[in-house]
Amino acid sequence: MKKALKRINLLSLFVLLCSISWAQGKVVSGKVLDTGGQPVSKASVLVKGSKLGTTTDESGSFSLNVPETAKTLVVSSVGYTTQEFSITNASMKLVLEPVQAKMDEVIVVGYGTQRITKISGSISAVKGADIEKLKPVRAEDALQGRASGVTVVSSGSPGVKPTVLVRGIPSYTGTDPVVVVDGAIQTLDDLNSINPADIESINVLKDAATTAIYGVKGGNGVIVVTTKTGRKSQKAEFNYNGNYAVQEVMNTIGVLNASEYAAIVNEGSVASGGNLIFPNISNLGAGTNWQNQIFKQSPMQTHTISARGGSDNMSYFLSGGYLNQEGIVGGGDKSFFNRINATSNLTFDLTSKLKFIANTSFTNIKNAGVPENAINSVISNALNFDPTVSILNSVPGTYGKYSTSQYILSEIINPLTQLNDTYNKGNTNKMYGKLELQYDLFKNLKLSSRFGYTNTDVTVKSFNPLSYYGTSHINSTMNADGTAKPGSHNSVYEAKTNYFNYTFETFANYRFKLAKDHNFETVLGFSMARVTGNNISGSRQDVPFNSWNFADISAATGIATNSGLDVGSYQYERRNLSYFARADYDYKEKYLASATLRRDGSYAFGANNKFANFFSGSLGWVVSNEDFFKSDFINQLKIRGSYGITGNENVSPQYQRISTLIYSYGLGQNAGYTFGNEPTSVGATIASFKNDDLRWEQQAQMNAGLDLRFYKNKFSFTGDYFRKDISGLLFTPTLSLYLGTAAMPTANIGTTQTSGIDLNFGYTDQFGKNFKFSTNITYTQAKNLVTETNKGLITGGGYGIPYQTVTRFEKGYAPGYFFGYKTDGLFQNQAQINASATQPGAQPGDIKYVDVNGDGKINADDRTNLGNPFPDFTMGWSLNLEYKGFDFTSFVYASVGNKIYRAYERNLAMTNKFRNVLGRWTGEGSTNDATLPRFSFIDANNNTRASDRYIEDGSFIKIKNLQLGYNFSSAALKRAKISKLRIYAQVKNAITLTKYTGFDPEISGGIFDTGVDRGAYPQARSYAVGLDLKF
Amino acid sequence: MQKQANMKIIKVIVAIAVFVSINTACSKFVEYDPQQDYQITANDYLKTSDDYNKMVIGVYSPLQWLYANPVIGDVASDNSVSGGENATDVLGLQQIDDYQLTTNNSYLTEAWKSCYEGINRANYLHENKAKLEFAGKDALYGEVYFLRAYYYFELVRMFGDVPLFTEKRLTASDSKGFQRTAKADVYKQIEADLNTAITKLPVVNVQKGRVTKYAAQALLGKVLLYEGKYDAAATMLENVVNGPFQLVTNFGDVFLQSGENGTESVFEIQYSNISPFYDWSNPGRGQGNLAVQMCGVRNLAGSSPYGQGWSINLPTKNLADAFSAGDKRKAVTILDIEAYKTANPAFNITYLVAPYKNTGLYSQKYQPRKGETSGQVELNYTNNYRTIRYADVLLMAAEANNRATTPNDTKAQLYLNKVRRRAFGDLLHDITSTGATLKQAIWDERRLELAMEGDRFFDLVRTGQAATKITGFKTSKNELFPIPQQEVDISGLTQNTGY
Repeated sequence: MKKALKRINLLSLFVLLCSISWAQGKVVSGKVLDTGGQPVSKASVLVKGSKLGTTTDESGSFSLNVPETAKTLVVSSVGYTTQEFSITNASMKLVLEPVQAKMDEVIVVGYGTQRITKISGSISAVKGADIEKLKPVRAEDALQGRASGVTVVSSGSPGVKPTVLVRGIPSYTGTDPVVVVDGAIQTLDDLNSINPADIESINVLKDAATTAIYGVKGGNGVIVVTTKTGRKSQKAEFNYNGNYAVQEVMNTIGVLNASEYAAIVNEGSVASGGNLIFPNISNLGAGTNWQNQIFKQSPMQTHTISARGGSDNMSYFLSGGYLNQEGIVGGGDKSFFNRINATSNLTFDLTSKLKFIANTSFTNIKNAGVPENAINSVISNALNFDPTVSILNSVPGTYGKYSTSQYILSEIINPLTQLNDTYNKGNTNKMYGKLELQYDLFKNLKLSSRFGYTNTDVTVKSFNPLSYYGTSHINSTMNADGTAKPGSHNSVYEAKTNYFNYTFETFANYRFKLAKDHNFETVLGFSMARVTGNNISGSRQDVPFNSWNFADISAATGIATNSGLDVGSYQYERRNLSYFARADYDYKEKYLASATLRRDGSYAFGANNKFANFFSGSLGWVVSNEDFFKSDFINQLKIRGSYGITGNENVSPQYQRISTLIYSYGLGQNAGYTFGNEPTSVGATIASFKNDDLRWEQQAQMNAGLDLRFYKNKFSFTGDYFRKDISGLLFTPTLSLYLGTAAMPTANIGTTQTSGIDLNFGYTDQFGKNFKFSTNITYTQAKNLVTETNKGLITGGGYGIPYQTVTRFEKGYAPGYFFGYKTDGLFQNQAQINASATQPGAQPGDIKYVDVNGDGKINADDRTNLGNPFPDFTMGWSLNLEYKGFDFTSFVYASVGNKIYRAYERNLAMTNKFRNVLGRWTGEGSTNDATLPRFSFIDANNNTRASDRYIEDGSFIKIKNLQLGYNFSSAALKRAKISKLRIYAQVKNAITLTKYTGFDPEISGGIFDTGVDRGAYPQARSYAVGLDLKF
Repeated sequence: MQKQANMKIIKVIVAIAVFVSINTACSKFVEYDPQQDYQITANDYLKTSDDYNKMVIGVYSPLQWLYANPVIGDVASDNSVSGGENATDVLGLQQIDDYQLTTNNSYLTEAWKSCYEGINRANYLHENKAKLEFAGKDALYGEVYFLRAYYYFELVRMFGDVPLFTEKRLTASDSKGFQRTAKADVYKQIEADLNTAITKLPVVNVQKGRVTKYAAQALLGKVLLYEGKYDAAATMLENVVNGPFQLVTNFGDVFLQSGENGTESVFEIQYSNISPFYDWSNPGRGQGNLAVQMCGVRNLAGSSPYGQGWSINLPTKNLADAFSAGDKRKAVTILDIEAYKTANPAFNITYLVAPYKNTGLYSQKYQPRKGETSGQVELNYTNNYRTIRYADVLLMAAEANNRATTPNDTKAQLYLNKVRRRAFGDLLHDITSTGATLKQAIWDERRLELAMEGDRFFDLVRTGQAATKITGFKTSKNELFPIPQQEVDISGLTQNTGY
């Protein structure tokens, strides 16, 4: 009954409205144009204060019945600023200004937005358009060289996370900045699942003024990702982007060919008192260059289709994406990254005051990889394997498709056999997004409550088949006839991991004015966050037929827990509870001030230190807004300064754990024992110390900056100087050794200091009607120094067998610096050896090491600082040109001063050598280059010890992106309702200028592994063609 | 208008109320209990006899980490050289071999840390002894006290005065809290622990490799010998001499896998490959015996029973020459690889000559043998370390009787000749001398019988022969190894004389 009544009411209302418009309306018509006089189609034209509206047609024209009382039209379109126009009786010509980096641009910051003019902190922003131009696989690659203050070292391996440093390396406990996607907190790892084409903008919050609102999570900087949304009352607009690329390796490394190799090993053998290994070199020829066998030309393609628009009370952005990248090492069978994305960003006006936002994304990733960046990596094997054998196995009656070496009997294997025997796959299903309610409690006071979530399910499987690398090769698990060696088994491993993270946040934004010109914007809120991980894994041996097709735990028959083929599981959880507040103030937009307060509780902190307080403040002075400042040349000048405290909670609770493990890997706290021939008895021991005082790492950061725009706003400059002082660095103390081997507790001991400069220079101009020009240069510099570790020392990245660590975190040095012996040429004769510091085993032709401590002996105490894998500075230069329908983009990235440790040379007697060995020392005076010692199988001098012999300057300039596009515009397209059709050709990593002799000077990793090249997966050069379509 | 204002106030109050109630509900949100991660902590433990059993097994574990101590005992002496790949490979052992000892020596530091881990594990049981009563507890604690004594004995004979603590497992706040205790007091504690162990331990343990009363008596006898208490040593060792032990007829069988925990075995540190180990970052802390991998022949190929190794701890010619003709122990002790290759052409042996300090000789007793490892093959050799053999006990008893206040050389000869008769397979090589000559004969016999078993250096020091027998040995310095520099720096311990 009630319903019926309502209907009647609605009906009568409708009739009434119609009659009004019929009775009292008038017709308004006109054309919407851009500043260049081109028509803007599909622009929304609304009568202000009503729901009456229409959209423009292909010629930009519109016609609308409006009430007599209507005075103003609101016109909006994507890419243009929303503008209001007074209704006139004549046919109206409405010109829309394009959206640009304008003075009134709004930037997304923590828990709110801020007009760029009012910001007194330090932020780097990258536009969606720039990301679209680069077409990266991972969004953070777009930050490289475009966001000043951010250092990105990209990985070549498909889909793998790059090293991302925001303003240097404050800590060794993890340097990943926190990632905030549409307000929901995620991690850098999660960026593998976002389609870069869905991103509207990425802002990097750099100084304490902007990061302190994230408190204990903000210490490494904050990457704020905003994805695209629709707009209300806008007709659906569809976009398609497609891109097809062919990737290839940029260069190969010079290794010896078969004849050269044979000659050298003959020499090495004779020098060490042995016989000729290859009595007849003449028939060997060039042999096999294994690099040519493992590197493949591999395709990559991406397709994205999206739709955006909205009705009266809702808007939407829908997107679907597909990406397929095959790896250049081994090709698409063994190395690939496939991603499918589906995104739906919906906003509903439930009432005039209550808004509901639901952003939902689903991602599926399928991937496979090959052994990388280690002595047993495919690349390392290709470099070090025997060049004298043919590609295919030519020995009758022996197992295997590919050849084996009779000389290399350990560690190094035929890389093709290795690729052939590499079987793994991963499948990731990820659902993430947010549910958010916004309520306008009263004017200028908005309450927001949101639930951001990420649910990830990862399934991996790998198969370790029985393999044959040669009869005497110690890693062979098969005999020559293909039967299993006694006690050898194949094995299969499967694991399932679920990660579920959520953040629940409620906050209020209140904006008010005091007197006339004192503007305040405030936010107050709280946040609860929970991060969980759950894993279960298992493995078995004896997969039927030694075949990947049957590689599954359900098919494998052998249970061998004693061989480590066991079931396992782990789970972890982290929880935070935080309160935050911020007040931004400005007086006539001349004087700016901001203050932030955050109180963080973390489950990880010790019982005595559950909560931490963080604060920051900033001041800004917009000089150009002063009355006395009258300059036609300088359009804007702002001076900024900030100071504040943020933190880092990369720590785990420290308690007295009981271990009942037979082994605890890495710690060496075995608690088992084997009595006689019985199975190993499980023991128990206290495995760790507790620390109830554990707290957060504290970062105090000051920032001083300058923003400048001049010459008709064509030039812009932003410069920042920062200094970070980190204290309470989570460090494992060195306690008395007689406490035993239980894991030492982490304590707040260390300090570091980082300072640097971020610069950004831009120039945008238009020449004539058709030629548009813009260029941008960024400069990023950070100097890191460890200032206190309480004599503690963390050694990190290493390589080889026996394992040598080469990077360290130590007081007085840059984090992750290279540590080893300094060389001083070669000993030319015995007299020089006698005259030098005692160096056991040295002979003429061996490397002379520097007696750093001057004690007359060369020993471990002489190892010293050999340089730093992180660049002194990086620069990015982008250039955009448009002429009529053509557009051209280039991007060049330079990294200067980063050192690389060359760790892919195995240096066994019979492994292949690198071409520089041809210039080796062969007698007094032949060379004094410490990288070219004499060659002998017996290396009594240990010329292969970690030293600067292996360190190279990794500075480089890379032309990262070259793109040439053409926009079609014709009447035919317009008739087909296609508003944009662009084709382009793109080359990525076209040219690398570097002195580095390896594949690629960009070696990513944690701070201890960056710059250690153990045969890292090089970035591919790719040639692409693509299509952008809008309709 | 008034109504609207009221509404505003109500809304604000509701908002604040919601905000506050959510937060009070979450006050416990950031507390942490390890149980929610399924982590067992000390609070959950030692509540059943099984917990105690497991904890005692944990006290045994660090024995395995001492794999390098026997290597040090020979490399430091005239028995063997360090070898390795080059002058900087196994640097710590090179320094010991060359008598170029620095205070930073990874092998000594590892021994120090491992012994103290064992002591802390034993102390934790001592500390919690009263928490639970159960059947068999006494015998179990006998093992604990034996092991604590074993660890302290290793420390005291290597380093002299060492920090001594027995009441509890140290916590982080005990760091830097101890200085070195006089050697005599450490020995006193070792004796006390062993005497307690002797009263509690059974004469037989069902599980092979577990400590028995005889093991405790033999170790106490050895300790007394180191202290120069020969009368007490003779009495104590007599218990073991008359125990259920026998010399294995064929000397070589003692060192085969089949000979482990045999009739001659008084105490052995157990190694196995049943749970293979893969951790290269702590290679000696698994169930396998890394010392075995170390002493193998490099790149050895062919069908001999031996596996590949790293050519470390190579016997000297001096040792090889010390064996007289007819001594069957020579071939068991020393593997002359070239002679072996020549004698066994069918094996098709190839190998890489030891690249550094080559002697051509390898320790046969602990040579890696094929099929006796698995997993990460280098880390998982099963060879038990024959810590105390019956032959050792006989020789110790002989020495104690010879050096007692009232010497009993007849008994000394009897025990000595038992060992020699097996070595030569006849009675023709019996020793009949007495007094100082007999003493020297016993000492020389110890070298031959126990060569490459890790006691030579300590015997030479104990008997005052070190300076004459070892090149580079400096009296009043090299009797002891340096305290690890790290410990000196952190804990402020005084360094041993001369370092």
